[in-house]
Amino acid sequence: MILFRRYGTLFALALIVLVFAVASPQAFGTVSNLVNITQQMSLLAIVAIGATLVMVLGEFDLSVSAVVSFAGISAAALFAAGVPIAIVMLAVLAASLAMGAVSGFLVARYRVPSFIATLAFGTVIGGLTFWISNGATLFSGIPAVFRDLGRGTILGVPVPTLWLAGVAVVFWLLLDKTEFGRRLYAIGGNREAARLVGLPVRRDMVVAFALCAALAGLAGLLLTARLGSAHPTGGGGYLLQAYAAVFLGMTAFREGEPSVPGTLVGAAIIAVVSNGLTILGVPSFLQDLLTGAIILAAVLVRNVAREER
Amino acid sequence: MTFAPFLALDGLVKHFGATKALDGADLAIEAGSVHALVGENGAGKSTLIKTLSGLYQPDAGTIRLDGAPVTIDGPRAAEAMGLRFIHQELNLVPHFDAVGNAWIGRRHPRRGPFIDGRAMRAKVAEVAARIAPDLPLDRPAARLTPGQRQMAEIVRALMEPARLVVMDEPTSSLSEGEAERLHAVVRQLAAEGCAVLFISHRLDEVLDLCGRYTVLRNGRTVGAGAIAEIDRAGLVARMSGQGTLGTGSGEPSLPLRERVGERGTTSVSPVESFASPAFPHPNPPHKGEGASGQKPVLAADLAFGPAGSRIAMQLRPGEIVGLYGLVGAGRSSLLRTLWGATPGRGLIAIDGQVPGHGPAGRIARGMAYVPEDRRREGLALALSIEDNLALAHLADFRARRSLPLPSKAKIRAFAKRTGDRLRLVAAGPDSSPATLSGGNQQKLLFGRWLGRPIRVLLVDEPTRGVDVGAKGEIHAEMRRIASDGAAVLMATSDIEELAALSTRVLVLHAGRLVAELDGASLTRAAVVAAAFGHAPDEPRPPSELSA
Repeated sequence: MILFRRYGTLFALALIVLVFAVASPQAFGTVSNLVNITQQMSLLAIVAIGATLVMVLGEFDLSVSAVVSFAGISAAALFAAGVPIAIVMLAVLAASLAMGAVSGFLVARYRVPSFIATLAFGTVIGGLTFWISNGATLFSGIPAVFRDLGRGTILGVPVPTLWLAGVAVVFWLLLDKTEFGRRLYAIGGNREAARLVGLPVRRDMVVAFALCAALAGLAGLLLTARLGSAHPTGGGGYLLQAYAAVFLGMTAFREGEPSVPGTLVGAAIIAVVSNGLTILGVPSFLQDLLTGAIILAAVLVRNVAREER
Repeated sequence: MTFAPFLALDGLVKHFGATKALDGADLAIEAGSVHALVGENGAGKSTLIKTLSGLYQPDAGTIRLDGAPVTIDGPRAAEAMGLRFIHQELNLVPHFDAVGNAWIGRRHPRRGPFIDGRAMRAKVAEVAARIAPDLPLDRPAARLTPGQRQMAEIVRALMEPARLVVMDEPTSSLSEGEAERLHAVVRQLAAEGCAVLFISHRLDEVLDLCGRYTVLRNGRTVGAGAIAEIDRAGLVARMSGQGTLGTGSGEPSLPLRERVGERGTTSVSPVESFASPAFPHPNPPHKGEGASGQKPVLAADLAFGPAGSRIAMQLRPGEIVGLYGLVGAGRSSLLRTLWGATPGRGLIAIDGQVPGHGPAGRIARGMAYVPEDRRREGLALALSIEDNLALAHLADFRARRSLPLPSKAKIRAFAKRTGDRLRLVAAGPDSSPATLSGGNQQKLLFGRWLGRPIRVLLVDEPTRGVDVGAKGEIHAEMRRIASDGAAVLMATSDIEELAALSTRVLVLHAGRLVAELDGASLTRAAVVAAAFGHAPDEPRPPSELSA
């Protein structure tokens, strides 16, 4: 029972997988489909890991989907102008990083509530994205080598899955094993206490927001690579799903704190539900309904369990 | 003169955990009198008021109204008995005007289904005409002056017949003129037969305004009687626990049951009672030799607090310097300025070196800080106990010096050592600091600094809300830190603690340093008198201030 309470969300994921596997053994329960799910969840999970960093601080970054769209469009625009792949990627990641740093600076230095700062700045980024693209979908000049980053496989493993694995390991280590990570949890737990023991609170907050945006930028690059095109609202769906993954993950481990492994579990639940319901032919409005209900149920179960303690 | 109280509180006792907030408090109030309730910080005045208003239930003791025992089980019951309370933080709705505020919680007059605004205003105007005819009734409370807000509170209190109005520090934020105006209203209330219980730190005001007084110390009534039979020195003596009575004071109508220091375990642990002589004998410097000859480890000359007043001080190794003052005197503000957490202008040097900016710069020079509010300013509840211990010196726990990767093993070893040293009682180093008792949380905040030699330790209220055993252990730890060569600056509201630990005491009053007491000048009475803004003998501004 203690195990169940502690790892309830993991059990839920296992249960969901099991139900779909029984309901549709030929389509859902195959290795290739499970591998496919890791690919489908990869972009969402990368964005969600970025959001996790900011959530550890007790803040929100609502500009992540705007940054995803911006990165996708600006990469496509640079390719159309004939810029080499490496330079495009570096430039887009640097721009995304800088955008996050601006949000973080507004929040850390001027104490603008992050909700408002990132909502407003995300809108600015959205406008910028439409400006770059003229509102059109961009698809010319995207090199095949770049496209392979988003859709190819290496030894049978989809490349996006490998990106996700790399990002997850790096950021799991960063949050759990470095001084920086401890400081973020300390700031999120008690900003005043962190300041009073001399932690570089402002700097760390700026860095966390910057890294969050850089990951959104990476997701934007991979999105353009996978689709072979970029749309100015291409990242629109990621915002709510990313935070849903983080919240689900907060119910998974570590007494309700955001964590990278938790976020992975959360993203997996969202991806599995979506994949499984699609295979079963459930209409998409029902999928939304069920996904929302699962998130609510997870949070409710955790809070009820907390009250009992 | 016969003394015929209508309201009598007898032997009230109230515990909060291990702390005795009230420990035999008596109070008797006559109809139509102005009664002063005085005492130091933490003497139990607020707890007494909250018990009277039904917010707390006493653990023992009786409350009698017109001779009959009553139970006040909530603010409504107190209201029904004719008791009114004006708390120190005024409780007006800022965007309501005096009329709206006066009717909060009452049955509004109606015309049909609607609230009758005209009748509301008429009723309030009637009350205000008697008390404060010039109070603007239509202005939101947020735009009233502090004095007008007090009047609005009083009008609200008198909307229905009242027998007693309790005013907690009503004049602390008022100008001189506004305070006089309030005094006139208080006298008028008394003349109309409504008693006033007047809580104030301004002793002149108390002597001038009140007819009777009650003195609380450590939750116990230690003196009561007619104001005409006591003077300021007598009040200070009772508040501070000096047995000697000033000239011109009559016999206290209640016996001074015990003297402070003989009270056993309620606030002083056995450890302290032998380790330290009580005032007036100063504690010996903790380093053995006369600390005064040594070079100062901390020298500061800076402006602090909202008033920006200047303070100059030097702390020497091995000494524990007490920082005393009433609530709001600026103790915390001074410590935070020294710590670099709030910006201040001026100079500070640790071991002759100017530290870098902010807390990080102070830490690099061996300064340490234990804040007042451990939950809000001290603990990172998202981290485990051991991570909280490691937080101040994270870089010391690296597996390799060049990489910012903390070593779990090193942190655990430090947590083990520190836990042993402080006798930290915890479920385990992995659990949340939220699971610790207050005393152990406080120990954790000290333990955070024990990884490196401490040069200067700033402590704000080291043992507030801490049980007796932990209190003794924390005091022992502070002595140990001092005897290891650190200078300790300790702000406290607890005069017992001040007496137990300090070799020297700085007293703040209204944001200024008003006294520096050591040696023969360091007595309880001198400390309390200075804190209340009255220099007992010769006014003695510290010599450093002349700079």
